[in-house]
Amino acid sequence: MADLDRADVLRLIDAAAPDSPVVLGLGGIAREMLAVAGRKGNHFISLDAMGQTVSVALGIALGLEPPGLEPLGLEHRAAPGKVIAIEGDGSLLMGLSVLSTVGHLKPANLVVYILDNGVYLATGGQPTASADIDLVTVATACSWRGAREVRTADELAAATAWSLTTEGPVLVRVRTTTAQLPADYFLEDPAILAEDFRRWLRAQSPQKEP
Amino acid sequence: MTGAGATAEEAGETDQQVLQRRSAAIIAGIEAIDPDHVLHLASSTLKIVLSHFIDGPGARPGRRVFAMPREEEGVSIAAGLELAGARPVLIFQDNGIGNLLTALLTLSQAYHLPLLAVVSRRGGLGEYNSMIHTISERAEALLDAAGVRWFQLDARTPVGRWAAEIERAWAFSRATHRPVFVLVNLMGS
Repeated sequence: MADLDRADVLRLIDAAAPDSPVVLGLGGIAREMLAVAGRKGNHFISLDAMGQTVSVALGIALGLEPPGLEPLGLEHRAAPGKVIAIEGDGSLLMGLSVLSTVGHLKPANLVVYILDNGVYLATGGQPTASADIDLVTVATACSWRGAREVRTADELAAATAWSLTTEGPVLVRVRTTTAQLPADYFLEDPAILAEDFRRWLRAQSPQKEP
Repeated sequence: MTGAGATAEEAGETDQQVLQRRSAAIIAGIEAIDPDHVLHLASSTLKIVLSHFIDGPGARPGRRVFAMPREEEGVSIAAGLELAGARPVLIFQDNGIGNLLTALLTLSQAYHLPLLAVVSRRGGLGEYNSMIHTISERAEALLDAAGVRWFQLDARTPVGRWAAEIERAWAFSRATHRPVFVLVNLMGS
């Protein structure tokens, strides 16, 4: 039984990684992060690309870790360090193949959080298949370097500290309730969202000119 | 067998020779772009091109080459790479266009992220797979309906121009901040 609300999880992740690139999945994840943390330059907000959150984060992680740097280890990498994807269970299951691509490429700077409430909450709470899926086993079977499942605030705090300091890719499955924060639709122009994120990213790595 | 729709410089060449010449032109065009990431999906017509990047001279230090299990996943990874300032190129065949449209339109197109896809044509003259025509013959129509800019390289363009055209398509994707598809016909038409 989960006792974590999604908004509390988002608040904790943002506090633990206030200056990391974060890719936010569509729907409640994006809207509730905006509600608890506000609009932030380091957040790339997906407005509709369901199933693609981890793939976008994988691309960012690879782009920030040029080919040839992989063997050097995290301590040799330039800012901004870990790239974080925050995805829902329903959206992940739409693009589950990316777990195999991540496991194959093994970006050391990628952390993926799956906020798993077992339903498509934004569309009325229809059930997903996640209740019968052991995502930790799936990730490790796909050769991820680590994966954990958490259900309590203490477990989440420990897993977050672990995920940000250990060599990636790592996955943290967070079992959450279906509680929702009241949050308005977010209707910003996606071209502006992309450019804001790109400018923020460029400012973190001035030697790299996208 | 002689390449039925070959360009003037390919006159008298066999289908295999046409395939090799056009494949070499595509490789030259992509190499001129100097991508740091090459994402690919299986294609029998692209075999020579893919081999160059997977385990040939194109598999060089400083470049990541990997398979995308599905075209839409490749589009999304490329979107992230573009955000991070990398230089990705996608290579796949046109029967996968249907798989990628939602990701392309809700991500790359909507967020104004450039993307270059080199897409081999299937179906039509020289096609051996009886099942592939239904989707491949509609590739241009699908892209038109989606508002995706595409350019075609086939017998109407001298093979000697193909590499430069691919390079120009890359520049076009940067200039327009949009996805651009180069449809390449390796089957002789």
